[in-house]
Amino acid sequence: MDLDQAKQTFIIEAHELLDAMEESLLAPESSEAVNAMFRAVHTIKGSAGLFGLDPIVRFAHTVESVMDRVRAGSLAFDPDLVNLILACHDHLAQQISELQEGDDAGSPETIAEGDALLARLLPYLETVPRPAAPPTTLVTHESHPHEEEDDQPCWHISIRFGPDILRQGMDPLSFLRYLQTLGSITHLTPLLDRLPAGPDFDPERCYLGLEIDLDTKVERQVIEDVFEFVREDSQIRIIPPRSKVEEYIQLIRELPEGDHYLGEILVKGKCLTPKDLEEALGTQRQEAFEDGTVQGRMLGTIVIQDQAVPPAVVAAALDKQKKAKEKTGHEVKVVKVQAEKLDRLVDLVGELVIAGATANTLAAQGTDSRVLEATAILGKLVEEIRDNALSLRMVQIGETFSRFRRIVRDVGQELGKPIELEIRGAETELDKSIVEKLSDPLMHVVRNSIDHGIESQEVRRARGKPATGSLSLNAFHESGSIVIEVADDGGGLNKQRILAKAVERGLVQDPSSLTDQDITNLIFEPGFSTADAVSNLSGRGVGMDVVKRNIDELRGTIEVETYEGAGTTLRFRLPLTLAIIDGFRVGVEDTFYVIPLDMVIECLDLGPFLESEQNHLINLRGEVLPFLRLREVFETRGAVPARERVVVVQFGELRAGIVVDRLMGEFQTVIKPLGELFRSVKGLGGSTILGSGEVALILDVPQLIQLAVTRKHALQPRLSTVS
Amino acid sequence: MAEQLQMNKRQNQALVAAKATQRNQYLTFTLGGETFAMEIRFIREVIQFGGLTIVPLMPDFIRGVINLRGAVVPVIDLSVRFHRPPTEPTKRTCIVILEVGQEDNLATLGVLVDNVSEVLEIQGEDIEPAPSFGSSLRSDFIQGVGKVGGKFVIILEVNQVVSVEELASLAANRGAAEAIEA
Repeated sequence: MDLDQAKQTFIIEAHELLDAMEESLLAPESSEAVNAMFRAVHTIKGSAGLFGLDPIVRFAHTVESVMDRVRAGSLAFDPDLVNLILACHDHLAQQISELQEGDDAGSPETIAEGDALLARLLPYLETVPRPAAPPTTLVTHESHPHEEEDDQPCWHISIRFGPDILRQGMDPLSFLRYLQTLGSITHLTPLLDRLPAGPDFDPERCYLGLEIDLDTKVERQVIEDVFEFVREDSQIRIIPPRSKVEEYIQLIRELPEGDHYLGEILVKGKCLTPKDLEEALGTQRQEAFEDGTVQGRMLGTIVIQDQAVPPAVVAAALDKQKKAKEKTGHEVKVVKVQAEKLDRLVDLVGELVIAGATANTLAAQGTDSRVLEATAILGKLVEEIRDNALSLRMVQIGETFSRFRRIVRDVGQELGKPIELEIRGAETELDKSIVEKLSDPLMHVVRNSIDHGIESQEVRRARGKPATGSLSLNAFHESGSIVIEVADDGGGLNKQRILAKAVERGLVQDPSSLTDQDITNLIFEPGFSTADAVSNLSGRGVGMDVVKRNIDELRGTIEVETYEGAGTTLRFRLPLTLAIIDGFRVGVEDTFYVIPLDMVIECLDLGPFLESEQNHLINLRGEVLPFLRLREVFETRGAVPARERVVVVQFGELRAGIVVDRLMGEFQTVIKPLGELFRSVKGLGGSTILGSGEVALILDVPQLIQLAVTRKHALQPRLSTVS
Repeated sequence: MAEQLQMNKRQNQALVAAKATQRNQYLTFTLGGETFAMEIRFIREVIQFGGLTIVPLMPDFIRGVINLRGAVVPVIDLSVRFHRPPTEPTKRTCIVILEVGQEDNLATLGVLVDNVSEVLEIQGEDIEPAPSFGSSLRSDFIQGVGKVGGKFVIILEVNQVVSVEELASLAANRGAAEAIEA
C-alpha cells in the first residue's frame, strides 16, 4: 500500500470534512448540523488513528467527546462553545496543514495551541477523562479461568468487523478505546481465524473479530452508538447482562466460527456456565434438526421476545437504518479526479479541436464528398467532447461562497458589526480555474464591504437602518458571462471623499472633467485608499487595484453601483471558461481576429452613417450605434476596402459596432494565452490557432471599446447605453 | 524550399547531437551580413520563416507570433532589437526557437535571423571578453568574442538580448507613450 498516497487522500478528506464541519458550526441550530460536526471529528479521528497521528487523534477525541455531549443534549451549544469549537476546528485544520507539509509531529506552537484548547474544552466534559483506563485483560486460550475473580454480569459484545472498515478510515482499536470510556472491558478475545495465509492476505482488509465483555452501566443505545459508523458493514451483536441462555446460544449459532470455540469464550466471560453450554448446544442442535426455521430468526425478534429491549427502541433503530439506506440510494456518485488530469484533458481536447479544424479545412479543399461527410461527423463529435470535457471542469460557486460565512462572521465580530450574509445562485457553475482565481479578489471585496461599507451599529441605528448589516453574494449567468455580485447595505461610496483623496494623491488633475462613474472607478487606481484608519483587514490601499488586476487577468470586468447611504454593489462579469469558446472569425488585411460569439448580436454592411462618418455613429434601424474601425484602432497598414462590414457586439449594457474587412463565420476557439511579452497588449484577450495552422487573435471586446473611447475622446459622450 | 527544409533538418540534427554534449557548442548565424553565435543550451530548434501573425500595437522588434506545434510563440526581430533596420524575409530567413529564463519560468520565443550557418565548438581559450567599447551593440548583449578560423564572431548573451522582462516593459512603454500622445 502506498502510504503516502493514502495519507494524501486522508488530508484531502480531512479538509473536506473540516469544511463541512465549519459550515455546520456556522448554522449549529439543527440537530443534523450537530451530527455532521460529530461525524466529521469522529472520522478525522478514526483516519488519523490509522496513520498513527497521535496528536490529531488525541485532540479530535476530546472535541468529539464534547460534541457527543452536545449531541446527546446534555450540553447547550451556546455561542461560547461554538466559538471554542470553531477554534478547535481551526486547530485541526492547522494540524492537517502541517501534516500536509510533511510535519507529522506538528510544530511546537501548534502543540501549545492544542494544549490550550484542550484545557478550555475540559470544563465541557462530563468527567475529566480517566487518566489511564485499566489495562485490558486479553484473554487467550492459555489463560486460566480462576484468574478472573469478579463475577459481575457483563454486557457481551460480539463484533465481526466488515472487510472494508480500514479503507473507510475506521480503526478497530478506537472502538475499544471508546468502550473503555463507557466502562471497563473485562474480557476481550480477538478472533483471527478469518485471517488468510500468505499471498491472500490484503493489508487493507480487516479480518478482525472481537468478543468483548463490558462492565458498564450505560444503556444499550449508547453501546450501539459506539459502533454506529461500522454498523452497516459489520456483524454486531450486543447482549445485555443476565440474558437468557438461548440468546447466547443464538449468537453462537449465527456466527461463522465453530460453536464450541465461541462457547468457550462465553464461558470464560462467565456469560454461560459450561453446563449451560453443553445442554444448550445439545438441545439447540436437536431443535434445529426438527425445525429448520430457527436459523432464520432475526436478532430483532429474539431481542423483543426476550424483552431485553423495548419494541419501540428496536423500531426506532430499524427505522434509522432504513433511512440511512434510503439516503445512500439518492446519493450522487462522485469520482475524485486530480485537477491536473482534467486540465490535461481539456488541453488535449483543445488540440483535438484544432486538429479537427485542420482536417475540415483540408477536406473542404478536396472534392471527395465522403471525406467531407466523415469530417463533418467527426467535427460534431469533437464539439460534443469539447462541451463534455469543459463541463467536467465546471464547479458550483456555492463552495466558494460558503467559505465567506465564516469570514463574514469573524470579521463582523471583530469589528462589532453583526452581519447577515445572504447567498444566492450558489448552484451557478463556472470553470474551476476561474473559481480558484476568484476567491482572493472576492475576499478583498467582502472584507472591504464589512470594514468600510457597512456602518457601525450606532450609525446604522441613527440612520434608521436595522442594526444588523446585510451582505449578499449573488451569482447568475447573463449572455455568456457569469456575473457575481457582492452587495452591502452600508453607507455607499462617498464621492467627495474619493475625489478629495484622488486629488491629494495626485491621481486626478482636473476633477471637474470626471463623471460619477469615473470617480467611482478611482477606487481601482493603485495606491488608492480612503480608509481613515488602517485596520488589519483592509485600508492599506493594496486592495482594489489588485482586485481589478485579478479580474482583468480572468478577462473579466468590474462594475460599481453605489448609492450614498444605501449601499454598494460590486459586479464582476467573467467569461464562463478560459479554455475553449465559440468564436466568430473576422479578417482585417492579412490578420484574423476572433470575437467571442456570445457577444455577437448581428453582422451587417457598414452604414448608413449618422450625420457624417467622422462621428463614428451609424443608424441601426433607427437606433444610434457607435462603431470603431479595427484597422484604425490597431493601426493596420493597407487600404480600406470598398465594402466594410460591421459586427454588432454587446457587452453588459453597452452595444457597439466593430468594423472589419471580412466576415469568416463561426469557429471553435481554443484560447491560448499570449504570454508575458504581451502583458501590456490592449484589446486582445489571447490567441488561437486556426485550422490552417495560422494564429488568430482573440478580441477583448470590453477593452477594445475602452481603447477606442480613450483614443477618440470625441466618441465618449456619444457612447450610448442601449438597454 | 526543399533545399531549405533539408538544411534546417540537418541543422536541427546537428543541434540535437550538439546538445547531448552541450559544452562549448555554439550556433552561428548571420544578421545584416555580420556573423553572431549563441550558446546551444538556449536553442530548441531552428524553423523556416513563415506563418507569422502580426500582433497590433506592438513595437517593431516584436514581429508577431507563430504557431509552433500548437503553442503560440512570439518572434523577435533581432536586427530591430540591435537598432538596425528590420529584417527583410528571404528564402534563407530562419526563426531560431529559444528557451530563456529561469528553470521554473522558462519562456519560449523565436528570433528572426538572416541565415543559420553551423554548430561550432569554440574552446574557452579562443573566447575573448566583451570589448567595453567599439561595438555597435549594447555591451551587455555580448557574452564574448570568439575566434573562429581567424575570424571574430560575437557571442550573444541570450538572456540579455531576449530578456522577456525587458522586452515586455519596452512593449508596455510604447503603449504608455501612445496614450500620452493621444
